[in-house]
Parts: sequence; C-alpha cells; structure tokens
Amino acid sequence: MIEIEEETARTKEKNEKPKILSLIKFYLLPGWRVPEFSEQEYEIEKIRSKRRFFRHLLTPLTIAGALIILTFVFMGIFVPWLTNFPLQEIVPPSIPGVPYMLPSPGHPLGTTRSGYDVLARMLWGARTSLLMAMIPTGLAVGGGLVLGIISAYFGGKVDYVLMRIVDLIYSIPTLVIVLILTQILGLNLIDMLMIWGAFAIAGNLRFMRSLVLQIREMLYVKAAKTGGALKFKVMFSHILPNALPPMILTFFGQMAITMLGIAAISFLGLVNAQIPNWGQDISWASIYEENIIAFLIPGICTGLFAIAAMLIGDGLRDAIDPRLKL
Amino acid sequence: MKKSTNMVKYIVKRILMMIPMLIAVLVITWILSQAMAINPLQSEVTGWDMQIYYDEMERLGLNEPIYVQFFNYFRDFFTGNWGESYSGKFEGWLVTDIIITVLPRTLEMMIIPIFIIPIIAVKLGSTSAKNRKKKKDIVIRSVAVIGAGFPSFWIAILLQYLFGIVLYEATFFAFDIGIYKANNVLLDPSFPDIIAPQSNSIVALLLFFLMIGGFYLIYRGNKLRKQNIPTSKKYIFLFLSGILICIIGIVPIMIFIYTYGTKFRLLDSIIFNEPLYFWDTIAHFLLPALSITLVSLAGITRQTRSSMLDVLNQDYIRTARAKGVPEKEIINKHALRNALIPTSNLIIGGVASILLGSIFIEYIFEYPGFGDTFFTSIISGNISLINGCVIVATIILLSSNLIADVMYTIIDPRIIYT
Repeated sequence: MIEIEEETARTKEKNEKPKILSLIKFYLLPGWRVPEFSEQEYEIEKIRSKRRFFRHLLTPLTIAGALIILTFVFMGIFVPWLTNFPLQEIVPPSIPGVPYMLPSPGHPLGTTRSGYDVLARMLWGARTSLLMAMIPTGLAVGGGLVLGIISAYFGGKVDYVLMRIVDLIYSIPTLVIVLILTQILGLNLIDMLMIWGAFAIAGNLRFMRSLVLQIREMLYVKAAKTGGALKFKVMFSHILPNALPPMILTFFGQMAITMLGIAAISFLGLVNAQIPNWGQDISWASIYEENIIAFLIPGICTGLFAIAAMLIGDGLRDAIDPRLKL
Repeated sequence: MKKSTNMVKYIVKRILMMIPMLIAVLVITWILSQAMAINPLQSEVTGWDMQIYYDEMERLGLNEPIYVQFFNYFRDFFTGNWGESYSGKFEGWLVTDIIITVLPRTLEMMIIPIFIIPIIAVKLGSTSAKNRKKKKDIVIRSVAVIGAGFPSFWIAILLQYLFGIVLYEATFFAFDIGIYKANNVLLDPSFPDIIAPQSNSIVALLLFFLMIGGFYLIYRGNKLRKQNIPTSKKYIFLFLSGILICIIGIVPIMIFIYTYGTKFRLLDSIIFNEPLYFWDTIAHFLLPALSITLVSLAGITRQTRSSMLDVLNQDYIRTARAKGVPEKEIINKHALRNALIPTSNLIIGGVASILLGSIFIEYIFEYPGFGDTFFTSIISGNISLINGCVIVATIILLSSNLIADVMYTIIDPRIIYT
C-alpha cells in the first residue's frame, strides 16, 4: 500500500512539470491545445450545438403548432372536467334534445343531430382524434423503421421479398382497400387504424431503406463490424440513432395526412358511430343550414390539428437540417 | 440515338413488370370479394321461382367449387367479360359498359384542374420564393398551409354552402341555378344512351394505336429530313407511309365516334348537337373542379417553393447575376427549370391521386362519375363492380407511375435508366 502511495506522489510531481512544457508548446506550436481543455471545449461545443438547435426550433410558427397540439392533448385528457355532458349523452342511441338548435346558455355552441351538444362532441372528439393520429402513424413509422433496417442491412432474399411487397402495396390504391376492408371487418375504429398503419408501413420502409443503405457504408459502422459487434447491435445501436432524425420528420408529416384520411373515412360513415369523432360530425351537419356552427367547428378542429402537425414538422426540419428551407 | 433505344427498352421492361403486379392485384381483389361473403342474387330472390334462381346460379357459375370459380374469374377477366352489376343505378349492365360510361365523366371534370393546377401552383411557388419573408410570401404560404391542412370534403361542403345558400340569399333569390347539385332532373342522366359493342370499341382502340404509330413515323421522317443528308430520300417513304396509316385509322374512328359518341359529355353534346346538355355539364362540374383545384394546389406550391429556395442559393444563379442577366430571366429560366425537376414527379404522380381522391368530391356533389360509382358499389357490396373499379384504379396508378418516371428523364437529361 505504501509503495503505491509513493508512486502516485511521484507521478503527481511528474505531472506538474508538463504544465510549463504545455505552456511552451501552446506559445510555440500553432493550433496546439491542452488535452483536458480541449475535452472541456468539446463539451461546451456540444451544448452550443444543442442551443443552436433550440434556437432554430423555437420560431413563432413552431411554437404555435406545439401550443395547438398541447391544447388538444389537454382537451383529450381532461374532457370529463371540461364539459357537463357524459359520453353516453352524445352518441347515437340517446336522443337528448332538439336537433340543430342555435347557441343557448345550456348549449354554448348549439346542438347537432339528435340534440347532441356541439361543444361536448368537439371535446370528446379530441380524445378520438389523438388516437386517430397516433396509432396509425406510430405503427407505420415504427414498422418502417425496423423493417427498413432489416431489409437494407441483410439485403439479398429478405430485401427482394420485402421490396416486392412494397411495390404491390404501392400499386393498389390504399384508401379503396381500407374502405373495402372496413366493410368486411365491421365498423371497428381500432381495426381500421391498424389496417391504415399497416398499409402506410410501405412508404416508410422504402425511405428508411434508402437512409440505411447510405449509413451502412460509413466508417463507424465498419469499425463496429471489425470490432466484432453482433449484427443486431450494429443495426440498432449504431445505425438506428443516425437514421432517426429524418424519420421523426416523416412522423409529423404523416400525422397530418393520416388525420385527414381517417377523418375522410369517418365522414363517409364507415366508422363506429358509438365513438364521437369530428368526421362524423361534419357529415351529420353538412346538409342542414340551421346551425352552421355545428358544421364549422369540427372541420376547423381537424384542420388546426393537421396544420399544427405540419408546422412542427417544418420547424424540426429547419432545426435539424438548416440547408433545406420551407 | 442510343439513349432513345435504352428508353424504349426501359419502358417495355416496366410494362412487362406491370403484368405480375396486375395479376397479384387480381388475386387480392378476388380474395377480398370472397371475404365479403355476399350472395349476388340476394336482392332478387323475392318473388322468384326457385327454378329461375337455380338457373341464375348455374349461369353465374356460383355452383362450381371455389377453385373453378377462381380460374373462371381469371379467364373471364382476360376475355373481357368482367361480370355484370346486380344492384343500384346500373342494375343488369355489364361492368365494362358501366366503367366506359362513368370514367369519361370524371376525366372531363378533372381536365380543368389537371391542367390549371400545375400552372398556378408553380407560379405561386416561384413568386413566394422570390419575395421570401415579405407580405406576398406570408399570404401564399398561409393559403397553401390552409389548403393542405383542412379536409377536402369540408372545403367542398363549405363551397356548396357559400354558392348554394349564402349567395342565393344574398342576391335575393336571383342566383337560382341548382349549381351545387349535379344532374338536372329534366335531362336524361345517361346521355347519350348508346353503348358501342365491345368488339367495335376494341377495333377502334387498336386503330387509335395504329394512328399513334403513323404519327411516330411522320415524326421520324421529319427528323431525318432535318439531318439534311442529300443522298438519302428515306424520309419521303416514311412520310407517305405515316400519312397512309393515319388516313386508314382516322376514317373508321370518325365513323365510330359519329355513331356511338365518345362518352365525353362535352364532346358528345357538340357531335349530336344538344346545346342544353353542353351548358348543363359545364354548370355542374364547375364547383367540384374548383374544390379539387383549391385542395391539390397546396402540395405543389409548397414543393415548388422549397426547391426554388434551394436552387436560388446555388452558384450558377450567382454567376448569372454577376453576368448581369435580368432578374426576371434568372427566375424564369435559370432557377425555375432546375426547381421543376423534383416538382414534376409530384405533378404527374398527383394526377392519379386526384382521380382517386375524387371519391369524396363526387360523393358530396352527387356527380355521376367514377368515384361515386366506386363508393356506392363498396357500400352496397356490388362485388363485380368493385373488382372492375379496383382494377381500373390499379391500372391508372401503375401507368401514372410509369409516365412520371419517363417524364423525369425528359425533364432532367442527366438521369439515365438502364
């Protein structure tokens, strides 16, 4: 033990000398830095890049988009506290009052078909539309992420089969197949969301594959391979984090498209009417002009949700890749 | 010369690759239609003699085992017998006849949007990129975001409401044409109600392709003539044969058109001299066309703007400015042509999505086109009509993808397919 302490003391003495050496080097050699100092600088540089990212991200339009989405999330979570109407009073079997009434103290935005309160349906519909936006998009982007890596990294037969399936899905009009499948499987919302997500995997798979094919040839991936890393380790801890940012952008872009597509299907009346949703509200209020608010509100909500998702996507793209401008 | 032969090879390869895709889609639609588990004769059983019912089952081949039905379906598809519709508006019609009557209505409605959208959208996108972060840019961007964000069916109904009710009441009931609902009650909806026999229309189609071949010969002859080789008189032969083929094609096609019509209502009302139908058709497709234009303008505008901004930062634009090229010419010539390369794919590929997205617009405006027929067939479970429509939609999608890829090489000569 004593010997070790002596050794450490000796090394400390040795370490004091290089300070003068380093000073000489710092003055004489251009571009030379103390190793510890450069490490610190590296950390600061990291923080600075993060700060730059946030500065690019926090533009007024992006903040507006985030605020709109947060409002809808808030509405979706706290519906029972925000409105007096329980879910049972605003879905089809019940007929609570006079249909298509103009705004009154009892109903701040009037009523729609069968006397359902417009405001209550809007608030309850926020919950549904969060589901409608999140489930299919999450399934599509997640599935595309995993399958895209597998397809690009393994190549060969797996790649061939997956790409032919993608080609097949691209050649069939998705919307029509979803419409037919809803007729077969019954009007279940979750089923429909799953089908939509499964079909939307194809586009993400193709995009992810092209990303991974680029990243696969990078030096750090080759280094990991020669270091003897397992295949799945290379795929999911070396390639995946580097392919993630573009996929996050597509997530927000697709959220808007999915939202609009599923609203369109529910507008055609192919979704279970027991669940309040904005597309159904639009179709109910479309032919009657007595209470135009009942028609305007759900459309504006759907539009705001989609626009907010698009704005966040645009803001993120500006922050991640400042070269691309939109 | 070499590039063009490569191009032909590529196109032929793509068309051959479309065939397995089409067969796979046929199998999928057949499985789906079996999964729907609908008896085609269900609606017509009441009041029927049972013997007639069994005879009908025998005629449609529903008594056969399932694999025989599968092969019959394939044989019938390739021999042009796509079954018949057994419910709804077109009860008892052949599916091919229904598609021939219904698809031209959608196409003639789409002609204005398909040609007007790219022109306006590219113009808007380039102006907003030119005046970046100024008032014009903000207005155009916000309109584009609203068009992309709000649901198309909602905008269509809003237009219907504005033109049908608000304008009607604001003008003290003077603006009283039923513009927001298609189909005048007084006019025959299936005008002209002559349908050409299938053999005749196939012959007319073949002659049409022959005529395109004739035009190609004339084009090649013209190219040879421009090369100005004094000894070669080959182009005269090419010209003569091309003109001959065109004449052979044109005469039967004209006879065909004047007897059966083209099924495009605007052309037919001119051919058969029915001005009432002409104005009626125009009045009824104005609003659907307007709503489609508003909705699909947004995507192209956004794409044009972003690629234009990317191009305006390039070195060759700075060079052009340094040379003293006028600003207008820089925008319209140097920048726009390069910015259009990524946009062109969106424009041509968008045609298919516009055609298929017409389901909602036609459903809202009750326009008797392809989308409306498709939707009603899905709702009423009209299996043979669904199969026919899915196949037609697939063919539209596949061919538009092919055209988009081919146009890409024409616009950007650096891309070469092998």
